[in-house]
Amino acid sequence: MLVAVFYYPVATVFVEAAVVDDRLTLAPVVAVLADPFFTGWVAGLITDPVGFLAALADPGALWDLLAATATGRVGIIGFTAYQAALSTVLSVAIGLPAAWILARFEFRGRRTLRSLTVLPFVLPSIMVAIGFVAMFGANGPLNRALVALGLGRVDLLFTLEAILLAHAFYNAPLVARITAAAWEGVDASMVETARSLGASPTWAFLHVVAPQLLPAIAAGATLTFLFTFASFPIVLALGGFELATVEVFVFSQVQNLEYTGAAALAAVETLLSLGITFAYIRYERRERGSRGARPQPRRPLLPAEWTPGAVLTRLAVAGYAAVAVVLFVGPLASMVLASVTGPDGFTLANYAFLVERQATGAAFRVKPLTAIRNSLVFAAGALALAVPMGVTVAVLTGKRARGGSLVGALAMAPFAVSGIVVGLGLLRGLVFGVEVAGWRITATGALAVVVAHAVGAYPFVTRTVGPALSGIDRRLVESARSLGASRARALVDVELPIAWPGVVAGAAFVVAISVGEFDATVILASGTDSYTMPVAVQRYIGRRLGPATAMGVVLLVVTSLSFLVIERFGGFVREI
Amino acid sequence: MKRRAFLAGAGVGVAALAGCSARRTADDPTTEATTDSGTDTATNTDTPAGTTTTADSGGTLVVATYSPFVDAPSTSPGSWLKREFESAFDATLVYQTPENEINYYIERRNAGVDIEADVYVGLNPDTLVRLDENLEGDALFAGAGDVEAGTVKESLSFDPEGRAVPYDTGYISLVYDSTAGSEFEAPATFDGLLEPAYEGDLLAQNPASSATGRAFLLHTIDAKGEDGYLDYWSALQDNGVRVLGKWSDAYAAYSNGEAPMVVSYSTDQVFASRANEDLAQHQIRFLDDQGYANPEGMAAFADSDQPELARQFMSFVLRPEIQGGIAVRNVAFPATTDAQVPEDYAQYAQEPPEAVTFTYDQLKGNLSGWIEDWERQFASK
Repeated sequence: MLVAVFYYPVATVFVEAAVVDDRLTLAPVVAVLADPFFTGWVAGLITDPVGFLAALADPGALWDLLAATATGRVGIIGFTAYQAALSTVLSVAIGLPAAWILARFEFRGRRTLRSLTVLPFVLPSIMVAIGFVAMFGANGPLNRALVALGLGRVDLLFTLEAILLAHAFYNAPLVARITAAAWEGVDASMVETARSLGASPTWAFLHVVAPQLLPAIAAGATLTFLFTFASFPIVLALGGFELATVEVFVFSQVQNLEYTGAAALAAVETLLSLGITFAYIRYERRERGSRGARPQPRRPLLPAEWTPGAVLTRLAVAGYAAVAVVLFVGPLASMVLASVTGPDGFTLANYAFLVERQATGAAFRVKPLTAIRNSLVFAAGALALAVPMGVTVAVLTGKRARGGSLVGALAMAPFAVSGIVVGLGLLRGLVFGVEVAGWRITATGALAVVVAHAVGAYPFVTRTVGPALSGIDRRLVESARSLGASRARALVDVELPIAWPGVVAGAAFVVAISVGEFDATVILASGTDSYTMPVAVQRYIGRRLGPATAMGVVLLVVTSLSFLVIERFGGFVREI
Repeated sequence: MKRRAFLAGAGVGVAALAGCSARRTADDPTTEATTDSGTDTATNTDTPAGTTTTADSGGTLVVATYSPFVDAPSTSPGSWLKREFESAFDATLVYQTPENEINYYIERRNAGVDIEADVYVGLNPDTLVRLDENLEGDALFAGAGDVEAGTVKESLSFDPEGRAVPYDTGYISLVYDSTAGSEFEAPATFDGLLEPAYEGDLLAQNPASSATGRAFLLHTIDAKGEDGYLDYWSALQDNGVRVLGKWSDAYAAYSNGEAPMVVSYSTDQVFASRANEDLAQHQIRFLDDQGYANPEGMAAFADSDQPELARQFMSFVLRPEIQGGIAVRNVAFPATTDAQVPEDYAQYAQEPPEAVTFTYDQLKGNLSGWIEDWERQFASK
């Protein structure tokens, strides 16, 4: 399945970089690497290594080079990696406190909040751009509040900072969700043992809890880096062309049908992403943890006793909540507000537009209800395929498997390859099809979309289940086997229940990816009535933002409901 | 070896993938067969549109176009044009709107896969240049032949090889908010945009992903020359121009008051008046008294099995009443001299004193280089 809907289609594009005039060559890739526009000083190292190293003998030159590297001025590729690294740091910094609150406190609506964390993930970039411009713009609520407080305005839009915040908007919840799942799997008895031996709470956290969270944090950080490294529409919408990333140029060249250059650029991009993935998986496989079935008890949000420590902790929670409201709720609320605002104030005209389009639109137009139905059906299909796939790959590439790092990195490739390349590959490989013995075999429509979604989403399951599985005490599995359980039985009865928070988190991500997916969907569904909610949002974008934002709100509501269903169902399955 | 059980579970997916179609590559389309076990065959066509409509006696005309032509949130001519055409001719009109637009058909032709569409609606001079520079092998489009195109304005014809026939045009201009900062007046010239008073005031778009962005870049090349436009842009960048991704990104930022000027269409007031917006916030400025014309054309596919019907359709689109109808619904200007446009339409749809545009021959061999040079300068780190 992976070969049919991923490796083969992608290969049809990458071959353009490796084969020129029917001859195998590295020239296009070398041309990219040797172009200072793309690789900055690295190009000098490639075109003239001797001269380059000789010049470095001058300390001033070396200093300039280090300064350029530290500020991301290493061509387009260097800048792309730089902004991705900063986005990752910011996403982890914002995601970790959320994981702490979700995993360690008990309060009304905690489970609902946890279900909704992945929500930003499904939003089409244009919706996020609209929400950000409205929230953080010159006349937005943030600046009005700052001015009212006498603090002056911030010009956030069209800067690197705006891009980083938007990336954190998408990815901090990801870090939070994966880390919270790992936190809930930390065995309470280990912490209690450490405490009974006289360890302070801080010592117990640093030496018992933190080591078990690190693999999950690293997983979240790796995914964030991969996503933000390949970021494209949001960069241009909130930053502008000065801050263009690699993907902007891949798009431009594909659009211009310059496939050799596009494929070479995308190949360099993919190799970097795969390298990061490989390094992470090597790390994950080395990590050992211990994981039991009994999680730590949660603290109530309102303490029984207001000790200084308890007050300080709650102040931290409140401070974080304020930041989260501005960063996450702000743009979402701005979007909802935009959907009910017209030139004359409050209006429901945009929702009336959706109803009218549903009722009277011609058959070849995109209708809201069809989009909702398709999104839900595809998400269910993707879930049914991706969860078993992801768990299987997690087991196959677990630390006990030989060569698992390489297989693991390759299995993560759907996240590492440029979405533009995948789209073009799907068009060539599936929509146009392959000619075999006089028959042209093609695959489009609903099933192809579901499979493409599953392939794009299963690495999430692998990454959320993998750390959880690797943390399981091997003796548990061995005793089950020695008592006569088959390997599969041991997995289902012993390992999966312990890794269950990871499975549920992975399932939520699968739904998020499936509902939010755009590129593969439009290509495989083209012309059939297999379009989804983000496609409808895109179709309703016009000069006025109202209709698209109304459809965006529908997308938000439908997705929220499905997350709640998954979380409740996940909890239900675990209890029986 | 129970691990196999899980692999078998994943294997179900492979079986499901067989929701695909196999089709004889020999030209007999009746030998279509599906290889799967009973999925809905309607979703199994390898064509980009629901072409399963029953053909009637006059035949079916497949019109390929960009999706806003049939499905824009405001107005689009698609449904109306289909109705008018079907009532005038004994034929069925079916739309195909692939996501990649014309690139989809170029890809298809290069891959050697047959094309079902008969006419493409929505060609620009630059797409035509891209097509001719990249097509391997046979032609994609045929000559217009006996299409009755005598009334088409001379200035809009852009295909020296006579394939594409213009059916409408838009003009790219600045749209500005005269109420910004209590009072605002956009500069009259390109040089005016460089004045410090306009620092950070202009929103434009990426020429690779936006038609307006491309037109504005081409307009600067026309105004400043092939040798001068990069210097001009360097000065523009120093004066804080914002180049965003798509037109919708830029227009959304404009609507939120992030900047008082945006590169857009000269028909902006048509939308503004329909939506009861304050026209003072939607003023049009033609820099140097010029608007960059972006004519749209249609052409018949070379492999069409309805070549005659395709040309009848193209002639039909040029009829005076149809020209007026398309212009109003596509919010553009007609391509012919005798189009019947409602009088109140001209009140809000502004035409520039002088229209400029690059011809096909000027663009050929230059366009991609011009854009790439601009990209490399503007995004240089």
